[in-house]
Order: sequence, then C-alpha cells, then structure tokens
Amino acid sequence: MGTIRVRFITVALVVSFFAVGMAAFLNYFKYKSTIGGIVKSRVLVVGRGIENSVQASLALGMQFTELSALPSQMEREAASDPLIQGIDVFDSTGQIIYSTDAASVGRSVDRAWTDAAAASKSTEWTGEAPGEYVAGISLKNNFDLTVGYLALRYSRDYVDRAAQAAARQIVIAALGAFVGIALVAPLALIVVIRRFERDLQVLETAASHLEDRGQPVPLPGSAFDPIIDHLRASLRDANSALDDLRAKLDRAG
Amino acid sequence: MLEKNYLWRVYWQLAGVIMVCVVIALAVVSYFSHRVFDRELVPETEKKAATEGASLRALVLKATGYGIPFDGLYGVNRTFEEVFSENPEFSYAAITNTEGTLLYHYGKEPQGALVHFHSPALLAAMRDSTVPWQVALVDTQYVVSLPIIDGAKPLGVLHIGIESVFVDHVLLEVLLDVLVVLVVSLFFTLELLNFMAGARLASGLGEFGRQVERMRVGDFTAQARVRANDEIGRLLRRIDAAIDHLNVRYEFLAGELQDKLRAADAQRREALKPAVAALESIGKRFKFGTAPKESQTDEMNLNRIRAPLFTFILAEELTRSFLPTYVNQLLVTVPGISPQVVIGLPIMLFMLIVALGQPYLGSWSERVGRRKAMLVGAGLAAVGFLATALAYNLYDLLVWRSLCALGYAMVFVAAQGYVLDRTGSANRAQGFALFIGAIMVATVCGPSIGGILADNIGFRASFGVSAVMSFLSILAIMRLPAVEIRPHNTRASRTPRLREVLALVTNRRFMTLTGLAAMPAKIILTGVCFYLVPLYIVSLGNTSAMAGRMLMVYAVMMVLIVPLAARLSDASLRRDRYVAVGLIVSGLSGLLLLLSDSILVLFGVVFLLGVGQALSIAAQSALVAEHCQEEIRVFGSDAVYGVYRLLERLGNALGPLLASLFVVLWGYQGAFVALSGFVLFCGVAFTLATRSEEWQAQPAHP
Repeated sequence: MGTIRVRFITVALVVSFFAVGMAAFLNYFKYKSTIGGIVKSRVLVVGRGIENSVQASLALGMQFTELSALPSQMEREAASDPLIQGIDVFDSTGQIIYSTDAASVGRSVDRAWTDAAAASKSTEWTGEAPGEYVAGISLKNNFDLTVGYLALRYSRDYVDRAAQAAARQIVIAALGAFVGIALVAPLALIVVIRRFERDLQVLETAASHLEDRGQPVPLPGSAFDPIIDHLRASLRDANSALDDLRAKLDRAG
Repeated sequence: MLEKNYLWRVYWQLAGVIMVCVVIALAVVSYFSHRVFDRELVPETEKKAATEGASLRALVLKATGYGIPFDGLYGVNRTFEEVFSENPEFSYAAITNTEGTLLYHYGKEPQGALVHFHSPALLAAMRDSTVPWQVALVDTQYVVSLPIIDGAKPLGVLHIGIESVFVDHVLLEVLLDVLVVLVVSLFFTLELLNFMAGARLASGLGEFGRQVERMRVGDFTAQARVRANDEIGRLLRRIDAAIDHLNVRYEFLAGELQDKLRAADAQRREALKPAVAALESIGKRFKFGTAPKESQTDEMNLNRIRAPLFTFILAEELTRSFLPTYVNQLLVTVPGISPQVVIGLPIMLFMLIVALGQPYLGSWSERVGRRKAMLVGAGLAAVGFLATALAYNLYDLLVWRSLCALGYAMVFVAAQGYVLDRTGSANRAQGFALFIGAIMVATVCGPSIGGILADNIGFRASFGVSAVMSFLSILAIMRLPAVEIRPHNTRASRTPRLREVLALVTNRRFMTLTGLAAMPAKIILTGVCFYLVPLYIVSLGNTSAMAGRMLMVYAVMMVLIVPLAARLSDASLRRDRYVAVGLIVSGLSGLLLLLSDSILVLFGVVFLLGVGQALSIAAQSALVAEHCQEEIRVFGSDAVYGVYRLLERLGNALGPLLASLFVVLWGYQGAFVALSGFVLFCGVAFTLATRSEEWQAQPAHP
C-alpha cells in the first residue's frame, strides 16, 4: 500500500475516533447528569414532605430547635426510600440539630455544605460526602428567613453504578461504530484515492520512461497529462540539442 | 496552480468520504445511546413518579382523614399543576375510584387511558396494599399507577403519565452538541489531511510543478535535494535522474569539444565550428550544472508551523466560551469596582499584555530564535493553564492568565516570524494564508468543544485540557527545524518610537482607519464574543456549550466569508466600502436585541457580527498601505503598521471594559445595544470620512 494511502486512511481513523469518542463522551455525561438529576429530584420529593412539616410547625409558633416530632418523621421518610442513607437538619453555623443518625447530632457538617447552601440562588442546593451525594433544602419560616437546612444523603454508589452500566453500553456501541468505520472508511477512501493514485502512477510511469528514445508511452488520460507532455517536450528538446551537438562533433571527426 | 486545485479537489473528496463515515458512526452511537437512555432512564423516572405519587397520595389520605369525601377533594388539579411544573417529563395525572371512574385529571390524556383505568387486572392489583405501584405503556405515555388505600379500605388509584418522548428531549441537547462535533470534525479532517499528508504532498507536487516549469524554460540545473520516500519523492527522483543524465551528457560533450579544440589545428578548428556554434546555442537555450542553493524555498518547513500553531491557539480558544463564567465563580469583592467590570478584568489584562508585548517580543524572538521563543511561550502558557485550573480566587487567576497571555503573545509573534523567515515576496501571502488558516480553524473548533467540555467535566478540568493541548503544542514545536533561517535581504523589524506613536495618533488619515475602523471592530469582537455572549447566555439559563455554539457561528462566518470578501475587495479596489459596510453590519447586529431577548435573536446577533467583521477585516490593513503612503514614507512601514497593530490590539483590551461598564449601566441587552450603537456610529463616521474629496484624492493601489 502506498504511503499516501496509509496517511489518508490514518486521517480518517483519527477523525472518526475523535468524533465517535466525543459523541460517546457527550452521551455518557448527559446520561450521568440526567440520572443524577432524576435521582436527586426523587430524593427532594421526600425532602419537600419534611420541609412542609417543619414550616407547618414553625407557623404554629414552635421553635426550630424544639420540633420533637421531626426526628421520627425523618426516620419514617428515610425508611420509605432505600436510596436515602440519612437525613440531617442543621443550623446556619453547620451544627446538626436533628439527624436519622443519632450519633451525628451536635456535630458540624462539612463546610462545603453550608457554603453551597448559602451560595444557592434557590432553596435547593447540593453537596457531597464520602460515598454519598447530598440533596439539600434551605428551610425558611413564614417571613422567608432561613432558619436551617435539610440535607438528604443518598447513595453515590447507586448513581455511579447506573452511570457505569450506561457507560459500558455506550462504550460498546462507540467501539462497535469505530470498528465498523475502521473497516468501511479505508474501503471507501480507496475508491476516492484510486483515481489520485492512478494519476500519480501514470506520472511515475511516464517519468520512468522520460529518457526512452523511442515512441513515448501513450498516456491513458490523467490529470497530469499536460504536465507530462511539457516534461517530455522539454527533455526531448534538450536531448535533440545534445544529439545535434554529438552529430556535429562526430562529423568534425 | 494545477497542483493546488487538484489537491484541494482530492482533499474535499476525501473529506466528504470521511464525513459520510463520521455521520454514519455518530448516527450509530446516537441510536444505541438513545436505546441505553430509554432502557435506563425510563425505569428511574418511573421510580421518581412513584415517589412523587406517594407524596400526592399522602396528601389525599390526609384530606380524607379529615373527613373530606374522596370524590369531593378540592384543589387536586392545582396540586397536579405544581407537580408538573417541577417535573416536566410528567404529562398526565389522574385519580380514579376503585371502579376505574375518572374523578380528577390534569394534562394530556393518552389515548386509551380510560380503557386502561377500567382494566380488571389493574383494578384488582390496586386493591392489594402490598402492590407498591404498576407501570403500563398507554399510547405514548408510561402510566405509573399507585393504589390509594386508607388503612385496609381501597379508595381509588392515582395515575401519573410520563411522556415516552421525554428521552428525546433529553437527547436533543446532546444532538446539538453532536452536530457541533460534526462541524468540528470536518475542520479537524481538513487540518489533519493537511498536517499528515497534505503538507508533504502539496510541497512535493509544488516542487514537481516548479521543476517542470524550470525544464520548460530550459533550466536543467540539478537540485541537490533529499527526496521523501513516497510516491511524489520517487517521481522527483526519476526526474532528478533524467536531469542528472542530461547534465552528464552535456558535461561530456562540452568536455570532448574542449579537448578536440585544444588539440586541433586551424583546419580542424574550422571543421569543429558547427559543433562550437551548437554548444553556444545550447548554452543560450539551456542551463546545465548545479542549482544555486539560495534559490531553494523552504516550503516543507513552512507547512510544519501549522500543526503547533493550531494546537496552541486551540488551547486558548477552548476557554473562550466559559472563561467569564469561571471568573464569576472565583469572584472576590474589589472595593470600588463593580463585579461586572471585575469579571472582564482577566480578559482585558490578557489582551493588554498581548497588545503591549507583541512589538517587543517580535525582536526578542528574532534574537533567541523562533523555535526557542515558541517553546518558551507554549511552556509558559501550559503552566498558566494548569495554574488557572487550580486557581484559588480572582487575584491569583489574574496572575495565571497573565502568564497565558505572555505565552500566547510569544508563540503568536514567533510563529509569525517563522513564516516571515521562510517566505519571500512571491509566497508571503501563501505563508500568511497558512498562518491565518490555522488560527481560523482553531477558533471554529475551540470555543464549541471548550463549552461542551466545561459543561460536562467542569471549568477546572477544561483548563486542564487546555494545559494538555498547550503541552502537545510543545511536542509539535520541538519537531520544527532547529536551524533558524535568517533571510539576508530583510532587516530586523523595530518597535515604533514614542514620537512616531504621537505623530500617528494625531494624524487624521491614519486615525480614520484606526480609530473609526480597526479599533471599533476589535472592541465589538472582544466585548461581544469574549465577554457578553458567554455571560448573557449563562444568565438566560443556558449552558457554556450554547455559548460555544454561538461563538462557532461567528468563526464559521469568518472562515466562509473572509477569503471571498478579501478577493472581492482586492478586485474592486474599493476596500473602504467593504470596511464601511462591514462596520455598519456589525453595528446593526446588537440592535436586534431591541426586538427580543430570545436565544434565536442572539444567534442572529452573532451571525450578523460574523458577517460584518468578515467583510471588513481583510480590507482594513490593506487600506493602511493604500491611504497612508505619505505616513509610511515619513515614518517607515514598521512604525505605521506597528502603531496600527498596537491600537488595534488595544481595542481588544478595551472591548470587555466597555462592555462591562455598559452592563453595569444598562444590563446585558443594553450593553449589546450600546456597543453595537458605538460601532454603528463609527461605521457611519468612517463612511462619511472616506467619501470626502481629500480621502478620494488618495491613489488607490491594488
């Protein structure tokens, strides 16, 4: 196979790899963000129930730190969906006031959670914990003042496993497509390159017979025919001039 | 020119075949991805619908618990409406009684829903409290049904319909990105064809064409060149061999004649006269011997600049669509300066460093060598990108972006010098076409891919990708020839002196071109494309990928129209008209936002801006040579062009500053309108100024 053909096929393979790779990459990340969004919104549905209860209690004049029914409700809600690994309610300093994990009460949450909650432009915010994702809701009283934050911790493994499964399938599809292209593209390219290679072949053949003194090899019709004619004519002129000189030298004896 | 057109025809045919293959591959990946999305997302959405349904059911049970009859609940539709607003994939919700009779419903009812609600199997299942929920495909909706059971007493069924095409909506955004990938792939294909095959092929065919032309005029001097080991190389070797044989034959005959003449007596000399005349005639008609070295061009090495330049510029262009949004994330309060202005600071600083640095870096790269200057520049930029990815806040970000700017200016100037060193007056335009081509393709590919990357892997990782690209450009720069070429006939370029700057900025003719055309064009470019578009699009709730798509529209317009506009303006010799029309079109672009703030209108803004800039950009610098001949005669072309470029680049730095000030005063839409209005004013003023008799009196030169 000619080196030019190899180069063109390499280009096709590199471009196909880039395009297929980018498509797979885009689909994977879209899937990951969509599944992440669906799971988060599912968790937030549970959170909205707790938020409503807290707001109802606050509306009745209860203190945020004295919501005695809240822990049991949090336990119930956490148990209603196996995806949820724990629910915490913390104040603006980050100290946990209520939690489904009793040992966590009184501890401080990750600073990133309070920062994310404070920076969020809506009542929803997100965070991360080791092995867990966090979907959060800012709890507001009737005066629209934030009194604390609700954090629903859910399994990172669940989302990651779903994403990995999709990634596997997308990668298989992408590899299949790439292998298909790797087989088809060279064949398709050869059809296009053949004409070019034939032109070059004609040129090379003509060039290899440039010094033949006999009848020139007839040209089969290529893009380079006029150039080949020029080449032949130039060499013929030079050779005949030198032939003339040779003849005159010979005549002179 | 046969070889050029011929090769481009081959390129386009190859690119066409590759594109067809890529489209098929993308279709296959998209089809299978759609199936994956369907298979995996639908069950997950059903679970979400079930959770949402459980919440609704709790409300219903709470109401019935207060003694409200199940068929007399109030505000059910309102609740459904609220649920739908938060879950756009839900398209229908209904509550039926235990007989399947519809009591409440909201949204688009799927065909056959009532039959489904009355299905005995469903009704039986919904009386069983152990059944959490059931799903069935009814018409085009997946209907999730949950039993409503008060203690042990079944009250009815809650149904939530999920439109099955919601996956299509999810994939629509991916499809737009895939289209972007397709366009980028096309440009990438042409770039790779040129890099991996074309450069050598073009240079080989070019050399072949020149050789044929030399032979046609009788020049048979031998070219002492190493030929590549490919088809063209073999071909050239055969021609070299034919020429060598001719030269040997000529040398032999000439030598034989000389020998005979030396040994000849008068009579023999007379006999040799025809041969002597023949040799003289050969000497007049043909040229034999060895070609002088300086006549050789360095086209192969000239082409080599394209890959490192493309890769390096791509690294910077990747950041265009998301840099302002990233800066917004790292924003700190700077006393006395509005946050909008602060967001524009890194872009301004970058442009300012490039503007002020280039005149000095040009002579520096001449001293240290183009290759070394490019290596240092790309190295600095790679460190800058990496540090930007890890930036703590705005202050250190400014330092890292300055590093990137310094690197950018070094590489840009050194690459420009590399082209200048390897081209003569005959092929300089071709050299710069290659230089600009690499930049243009990078501006098409960079912002769009950068936006996609930023959306998916985050801003910091995307800067990491830029650092990798910059590092790759170092590898490509290392492949450039280590031996520098110092053209003998060119003198070192010099930076303009202060008095020249002062004289030129107060020169009416010069400032008509610079102050009314070049600077406003750059101001609107950086103000709109680099600052306003990325921020405005994100403020509308869109993604950085969308900003990237918009910027790609601009770049594609440039790629398509600039060569055409350049040709037409050169042919018409009325470059000032092209500049005026271009400025006015650019100026009208932002005014479109007075009509609407929709994304489609913004698309129109960027499209018009691209058209306007493309029309004027090629003609602008040519106008300097055309209308500032007196200034060039007095100060020299280095000084005139140096000041012109300096002011033009200062326009780049002013763009984000003006845009941010306008945003503070009138918001994003107002800023678009104000910047455009300013450019429109300049365009009209330029038109009037160039219609004056004094201007028209200046001779126009092609």
